[in-house]
Amino acid sequence: MQYIIRLEWFIILVLLQVLVLNHIHFEQYATPLFYIYFLLKIDSDNSRKGLMLWAFSLGLCIDIFSNTPGLNAATAVCTAFCRPWILRLFSLRDITDNFEPGMYQMGFASFFRYTIVLVLLHAFILNILDTFSLANMPTLLLKIASDTIITLIFILCVDSVRRKK
Amino acid sequence: MRNLLNFLLKYNHWFLFVLLEVISLTLLFRFNNYQGSAFFTSANYLAGIVYEASSQVTRYFDLTEVNKDLTARNVELEIEVERLSQALEQYTQDTTGVANLRKEALKDYVLYDARVVNNSITHPNNFITIDKGEADGIRPEMGVVCGNGVVGIVYLTGKHHAIVLPVLNSKSSISCKIKRTSYFGFLKWEGGSSQYAYVKDMPRHSEFSLGDTIVTSGHSAVFPAGIPVGTVDDMEDSHDGLSYLLKVKLFTDFARLNNVRVLGSFNGTEQAQLEDSIHSMQP
Repeated sequence: MQYIIRLEWFIILVLLQVLVLNHIHFEQYATPLFYIYFLLKIDSDNSRKGLMLWAFSLGLCIDIFSNTPGLNAATAVCTAFCRPWILRLFSLRDITDNFEPGMYQMGFASFFRYTIVLVLLHAFILNILDTFSLANMPTLLLKIASDTIITLIFILCVDSVRRKK
Repeated sequence: MRNLLNFLLKYNHWFLFVLLEVISLTLLFRFNNYQGSAFFTSANYLAGIVYEASSQVTRYFDLTEVNKDLTARNVELEIEVERLSQALEQYTQDTTGVANLRKEALKDYVLYDARVVNNSITHPNNFITIDKGEADGIRPEMGVVCGNGVVGIVYLTGKHHAIVLPVLNSKSSISCKIKRTSYFGFLKWEGGSSQYAYVKDMPRHSEFSLGDTIVTSGHSAVFPAGIPVGTVDDMEDSHDGLSYLLKVKLFTDFARLNNVRVLGSFNGTEQAQLEDSIHSMQP
């Protein structure tokens, strides 16, 4: 049952990303990378390997639609790889059992820090791999920062709406 | 041995990480020159279906703009036709002359209508997906144009979809010339705005002025001569100082591309073979 729900989220997020969000270039720069919400929300007791396999298939699906084979896959795998460390860093010490990362379970401050670090990491790797040069440093940094901010806004909005349910 | 096994078991997530990253990066770096990888792009059948369904919905949204463009273009063409037929009347009273002239210009090309189903303009390397593929007669290396001007060259073909390498891709290079004086160079895009590209290798003794029209040169069989590209917006010296670099405002609005035409050439293969044989003869 849990897998079916997760698969639904997977398909919805891929379609949302490739049909809507990839076409948003707010002020020429910011593109929401909302699909990593899927990686953020996977339960904390999932193994790192499972997480990376989910991330790889998610990234590859996005890539197939946006003509960038491997780009999002490489980035998502890296984000998934780092997630357990970052989650342990920002979640409260006494939570040892399984939980789904979110505002309700972690508190706003912890969740905010956890999200911003992962989103920043993701945007950083994605943009570095995409441009593959450091020639235009200011543009690159601006793109990373704007992607991070707009993705963060999306994730915080959606998570706060889901929490109320 | 036991320690080694323990080590491998303990850190097996590292190996999975490296494996997945290697797969991804191989895909990423090989795509750029690996022609057969159409499967992992939107020339893929399933991705094509999804994009087609979405464009079925979204293409209605900008019909007003498309209509306005078409009307403007129509008026332009009507004036042109009027002017040309008047000019022609002066030269010949023979009515079959007009029909022959038109046949002559497009004699070497066959036109396929296609619709854009996916498009990007903000990446360093952009691609366009169109809804016609091998089954409709589209082959790689065919030219693509729209009502306003040149769009790009077909890069990969799937069965029912094809990927076009547009002007807005750093790998694209299209031979073009100044319409008025016929000096030629090649068109390159260097990122940034989707409305501007550069013409490189324009000789220093060439004559042009700002506002001149740039058209395709017809030196390759991909495009016939005279397809509009853009107007000269600005000029500067090239980095080595041996030629001019012209900044060109493109006629084609890539952000609003909808209907395109693919030009299939009858003589292209022969010319390409000849040119290839020259290149292989040189050491």
